[in-house]
Amino acid sequence: MSAQYLFNGIVTGGILALPAVAFSLLWKLLRFPNFAVSAYLTVGAFAALTANRGLGWPLASAWLGALAVTALVAWLVDRVTFRPMRARRPFSLAIASIGVTFVLENVIRFVWGNDFRAYDVPVTRAMTWAGLRIGREQLDILGVAVALMLLAQIFLTRTRLGIAMRATADNPPLATVKGVPTERVIGLATLGGGALAGGAGVFLGLDTSIDPLLGAGLIISVFAAAILGGIGSAPGALAGALIVGIVEEVGTLVIPPTYKSAIGFFIILVVLLVRPTGLAGART
Amino acid sequence: MTGYLVAIATLVGIRALLALGLNVQWGFTGLVNLGVVAFFGVGAYTAGLLAVAGVALPAAWAAAIVASALAGALLATVALRLREDYLAIVTLGFGEVLRLFLLNEAWLTRGANGITGIPRPLRSWFPAHYDLFYLGLVLGCVALIYLALERLRRSPFGRALRAIREDETVATVAGKNIVRFKVQAFVIGAAVAGLAGILFGHYLAYIEPNMFVPQETLFVWLALILGGSGNNRGAILGAVVLLGLLEGSRFAKDVIPFLTGVRLAAAQQMLVGLLLVVLMIKRPEGLLPERAP
Repeated sequence: MSAQYLFNGIVTGGILALPAVAFSLLWKLLRFPNFAVSAYLTVGAFAALTANRGLGWPLASAWLGALAVTALVAWLVDRVTFRPMRARRPFSLAIASIGVTFVLENVIRFVWGNDFRAYDVPVTRAMTWAGLRIGREQLDILGVAVALMLLAQIFLTRTRLGIAMRATADNPPLATVKGVPTERVIGLATLGGGALAGGAGVFLGLDTSIDPLLGAGLIISVFAAAILGGIGSAPGALAGALIVGIVEEVGTLVIPPTYKSAIGFFIILVVLLVRPTGLAGART
Repeated sequence: MTGYLVAIATLVGIRALLALGLNVQWGFTGLVNLGVVAFFGVGAYTAGLLAVAGVALPAAWAAAIVASALAGALLATVALRLREDYLAIVTLGFGEVLRLFLLNEAWLTRGANGITGIPRPLRSWFPAHYDLFYLGLVLGCVALIYLALERLRRSPFGRALRAIREDETVATVAGKNIVRFKVQAFVIGAAVAGLAGILFGHYLAYIEPNMFVPQETLFVWLALILGGSGNNRGAILGAVVLLGLLEGSRFAKDVIPFLTGVRLAAAQQMLVGLLLVVLMIKRPEGLLPERAP
């Protein structure tokens, strides 16, 4: 019985990991918490909904479409909003990102309304294995999330651009002096971060349901995962996401499920009190 | 029509108080509070619940202000220990968790039904023009807080806050305890938001959890940035202009046919978000820029 909660927690953690890594790396790179990641999740979910329900695409192609659309939206937001503000106090950018979140969320609400929606996917029977009920979608989500995390890690540690990205995050003036094209690196990170968040939004819509507050409902958990992992650490954010996901699911055994989204908030408070640099302990 | 104007002016006054409180935090000190609505809610609920339980109003109000200030002190102390941007996240989370609490702990907060019959102060003294009296009360509070915060702005304390906002290293070298000043500034702002909540609850005589949603926080931010952060008069002016904007856009429904209730609300929030972004990029100093005291 409780193994079922653990499994569900790992799936939730897999979904959380994608925006958590994006949020954490963008925070380190751009030096402000980008709240618009919340809206990117929702944009991804609705982009896939449009392709899936509107154009009749199967969900796999709709998911790829959502990656592209969300990456593009994130890049446009960065270009129009954050780029002109790069030299300003980081908090000004954080405020602007809240404004962006409301704009995107309400464009979606204006078009689709507040109803809960679902993707058009064939109904499959859940498998039973060692007493666990495992949905086909849950396996797909977990597999793709693991693959994406591996890709991100390989990109960050093995490619020139990935290493340049980490260098820029660590020390922007030094990276610039050494010839790293800062704006290109930021542009690429934004595209990648947007794609990760958008893909996770589709997963979340598949796992639960789709409405304009989809991203807003998850964002505290995303923050908790990133802070728990240590800002700027991709493996940290992944570990943080798994822990937050598992604690949230298993926690419903002890506390009323209505408080599920409060768990992330309390994890943040505990981390700030006990180990404010997070698991990875990166200098901040 | 007069009734409508009086009601609007009362709500402008309450939002002006919220903007004044946020101005101490963001305008003076550079602290990001994304949970303005939560401190507003703590004030409204504490005062409302105590008043309905029969506690004398002055005592209920004092308790409500203390509760808001305490919530601010706790959050700021935890969040500001390491780095400042955690404050933004913690306050945003607090807003969400408070709303869950208000909705689910019906034994204390009466849940989604809300609190009805919150007494209106000195109702029997003004049988005829009570709403005018209440408007006077709200505007009196705005004037009082404005004067107090103007004094604070010109005081050595206010100067220290600005120094911290501009350059923490320099302020540290000058011997200032940065974290303590920040927590104090945050608590003052939270207490002012609590006062606004008290006035809000007793004005409507009814409060429920969905009055305290994140977009209220966004509105207060827009009011402050629009009016001019760092400038107390700007905070008040911003609240006036914002309400004009929101009320004005309500009439768009009569002109544009396909604008349903949901769409109108969405369009309003879209406009507010967009305006905030454009101001942050193009005119961060607002209508009335900050002036040296």
